[in-house]
Amino acid sequence: MPAQIRIYVSGLYCGGNPQPGVGIVRSLRAAFPSSKIVGVEYSNRVSGIHWEGLDDVWLQRPWDELDLDIYAERVRELVGGGALWISGSDLEAMWLASIFPEGHPNLLAPPMQALKRITKPEVLGAKELPVKIPTFISTDHSDWDLHAFCRQHNWRVWLKGPYYDAARTPSWDVFEAARNALSKVWATQRLFLQAHVSGYEESVMLSAYKGELLGAVSMRKRDITPEGKTWAGDVTEVPDEFLVPLRRMVKALNWTGGGELEMVRDAAGELWLLEMNPRFPAWVHGATLAGHNLPALLVQAATGAIPKPSIAHGEEFTRVVLEVPVRKDFPLPPLPEPFAGAVGHSMKHPSGLPALAERLQESNPHMLEVIGDGDGTEQVAKIPETMMQDLGSYDFAQVQTPEFLFMESTAASLFKRASERAHRLSTNEVQVITGYSIKTNPDARLIKLALDNGFLAECISLAEAQKALEVGFRPDQVILNGPGKWWPEGLMPTEQMHAVFCDSVADLDRCVAALASGEMKSKHVGIRIRTPNIRSRFGIPLDSPATFAKLVEAVKRLPTDTAFGVHFHMASANVGVAQWWHLFESILKWCRAIEKLTERDIEMLDMGGGWFPDDVHDGDEDKFAKAVETARAVLPNVRQIASEPGKAMAQPSMALAMRVLEIQEHEDDYVEAVVDGSIAELPMYFFYPHRMLRQCGETGEWQPLKRGKTHLMGRLCMEHDIVAANVQLPEGTRAGDLLIFCDAGGYDRSMSYVFGRG
Amino acid sequence: MYLAGAEKRQDLIEREAERRSCSAKWQHFPFSTLSHHGEACCDIAREWLLAMDFAQLNGGDLLSGPRWMRQKYKWGPTAWPIHWCDAVERDTLDCGAHAAIAHEAFRARGVTSYPAQFVQQYSPDATEQWQKKWSEDDVSCHWIDDGVIYHEGVALLTGEDEVKLWDASAGWWINPRQQPHGYGSLLAVRIHAEGQFGVGDGFRWGEHRIKPGAWHEF
Repeated sequence: MPAQIRIYVSGLYCGGNPQPGVGIVRSLRAAFPSSKIVGVEYSNRVSGIHWEGLDDVWLQRPWDELDLDIYAERVRELVGGGALWISGSDLEAMWLASIFPEGHPNLLAPPMQALKRITKPEVLGAKELPVKIPTFISTDHSDWDLHAFCRQHNWRVWLKGPYYDAARTPSWDVFEAARNALSKVWATQRLFLQAHVSGYEESVMLSAYKGELLGAVSMRKRDITPEGKTWAGDVTEVPDEFLVPLRRMVKALNWTGGGELEMVRDAAGELWLLEMNPRFPAWVHGATLAGHNLPALLVQAATGAIPKPSIAHGEEFTRVVLEVPVRKDFPLPPLPEPFAGAVGHSMKHPSGLPALAERLQESNPHMLEVIGDGDGTEQVAKIPETMMQDLGSYDFAQVQTPEFLFMESTAASLFKRASERAHRLSTNEVQVITGYSIKTNPDARLIKLALDNGFLAECISLAEAQKALEVGFRPDQVILNGPGKWWPEGLMPTEQMHAVFCDSVADLDRCVAALASGEMKSKHVGIRIRTPNIRSRFGIPLDSPATFAKLVEAVKRLPTDTAFGVHFHMASANVGVAQWWHLFESILKWCRAIEKLTERDIEMLDMGGGWFPDDVHDGDEDKFAKAVETARAVLPNVRQIASEPGKAMAQPSMALAMRVLEIQEHEDDYVEAVVDGSIAELPMYFFYPHRMLRQCGETGEWQPLKRGKTHLMGRLCMEHDIVAANVQLPEGTRAGDLLIFCDAGGYDRSMSYVFGRG
Repeated sequence: MYLAGAEKRQDLIEREAERRSCSAKWQHFPFSTLSHHGEACCDIAREWLLAMDFAQLNGGDLLSGPRWMRQKYKWGPTAWPIHWCDAVERDTLDCGAHAAIAHEAFRARGVTSYPAQFVQQYSPDATEQWQKKWSEDDVSCHWIDDGVIYHEGVALLTGEDEVKLWDASAGWWINPRQQPHGYGSLLAVRIHAEGQFGVGDGFRWGEHRIKPGAWHEF
């Protein structure tokens, strides 16, 4: 009579994001009813230890206190003594691989080399599979580059840890907070950002022994938990076009154990691989119910024992919540006391998996590095040559910090480039002209540069229009828009303006009346359209057919001797570059509908708003040229396109100089440096990263600030006055040293306020 | 007498065949289309709907289902005929109106779509509820037949001859791997298209082949 099969199964967590242990146990029990199955866990809070299908429970202390050497010895004894081990936890599988780098016949988990080849995000081992990998960037890159990645992907990005955990980061402040949290939990700065892929999630589960694929099934999620985890699914055979390369992959990796490829199928039917897990998935028993008992195949391969045949109950499975009796030997532990003043009980990771991650990291820092485009060395954002020249022109001994510095050659070069580009994009039929948004920085030097480079002045109030006129703009070079553009009274230019865009139907009616009475003169009068799918408070809404009908009727009332235009502004830095271009296309469709329904030709388009400087100045000019072509094709009567890049002109044109007041060193290399700058001068600190430099007090050399453990605390007695978090001050930095925050010439400058100055 | 008896028997056989055919009741039923007043009111409504659909794509794939429509227009009784100007202003539309506007939206995006008619299985309890609701609104219940219902959607061409079936009232793609029985399952489909698809075998929907213009029962 063959000896009883003994199988140790771990990963018994059964919360909202369950581990597969209980599913593996259920499948094994169905296939090998007389086997001895022992559950392995690291916390008596894990409810799976009470599952009735377990013959015994081998409970260890949590990973943060477990003596790994002793434990490794016990595991060696077990598998050496003939017991099988199926791991239901990624991190435990990694730890086991570190004990058995070449594997062990009874350890039904992948060897170390295989794990290294499936490290996310690149998953090199899956290269032959018919899948794509969503675009990603290592957080080794500078914050400047990471912000650019987020913009390029419309802020639909995920910050992911090296093992698991992912946080959606729809804005810069959320990204910074998530990076801090994930870095702390997983004890590494090496995270990555990955573009979101919209679609339906599906997985392939596999079972393999010593490089031989024993079985594989495909599962589509048919119902999900709020966390996006499987709640129900359907199970089918893996198609040959996937199965054949999968078999090769398993062979190449010499895979042993379960595995799961988590994927998304997009609307076009393409598969995107999110990650590969070195274990069976939590839905493993759902596949068994559909007649595919993959854990049984694994045990069969390892032992030669013949499992009971799997009975297919159908292709679909779902989950229910079950109450089970608690094992007498493992009574429930008390619920921990909530932290004083906090809400709820912090109960995540009862078995201390993050501690295991930290310990693995310490024992072998290179064990599972995030493979990809980073090499672990943080890259620093490049400072443009013109900025360095501009800094060189200042005598900082004479600068009373904090002080904004006008970056003269930087600004001059940006305005010139924008002007030249507008000229290149213009055709015989359509003039492209750039608008300078006065509100982004009303500094006369910038307004003058705009004037000298042939810009139009985009104003949101009569006060701004007046400022533009004072600097030298003519009224027919002024565009007036926004909901408060008639403020303050009495400053209306008496001569004809270039364009006025109305923010509401009532505003449009007022304009029509003002034109009729001669109170206002404008070559173009138009409307600002409110983007219907992205929240905005500006422009005429289009969100119902009734409001659209009112708009159509109002436009029809415009005098026929006034040219008609449409204005569309949305901050591309906030919504993302690709999203902005979609909005542009969408607005063209609305424009075409308005033209058709009103029988008014659209002669001027004013588009732009809130571009990040790099996206405009270093952006793809072909894209802009194509946009002009498209606009012309959709709206054949357009004669002028005013492109208003918003802060892109002003932001790089000024920097903020500040000095270190005091450096406070704390435990664990954490440093707080107090500076004389503050959020009163850098109100945009939370929205985007600034490139920072420190001037060496001895050599005068400019040194870029890298990422580190220093927080730069503003001078204000305000809790949130932190002007930079997680930077590293160069060695030798001391009180009195000069720091420069580049990229402070846009809303930092124009929205800065006087505070704490007496 | 003999002949009359045979005719009666033949009639019974045909009725029995019809009874077994879940789509028989809707054999000559046309798919729904919205009417147009031929005036600005319907022009504005139609232009608004199509521009809004493109806006709601948010840069997503043109083949994405227009789920926003189901969020805006609940599913419920609709009196027919219905005009564009009326349809887009309503809070509630039935499956015919949902499908008609989804079909127009797909076409405006430049993707190929066809009107699709469905027969679905539900339960007598469900259909009793719907019967009551539609009757209270004084709207025809022609679409209900015991535990089976007539429904409409859109077939979207995604390859040379491959289609996906969009249920505009549910806001989801119908599962081609579904069992052809059970609550909510698709029992039959008819795709209104002209031409040869799949070298005469019809559209490919999952493992199925569906000939255009005819009811296909699963």
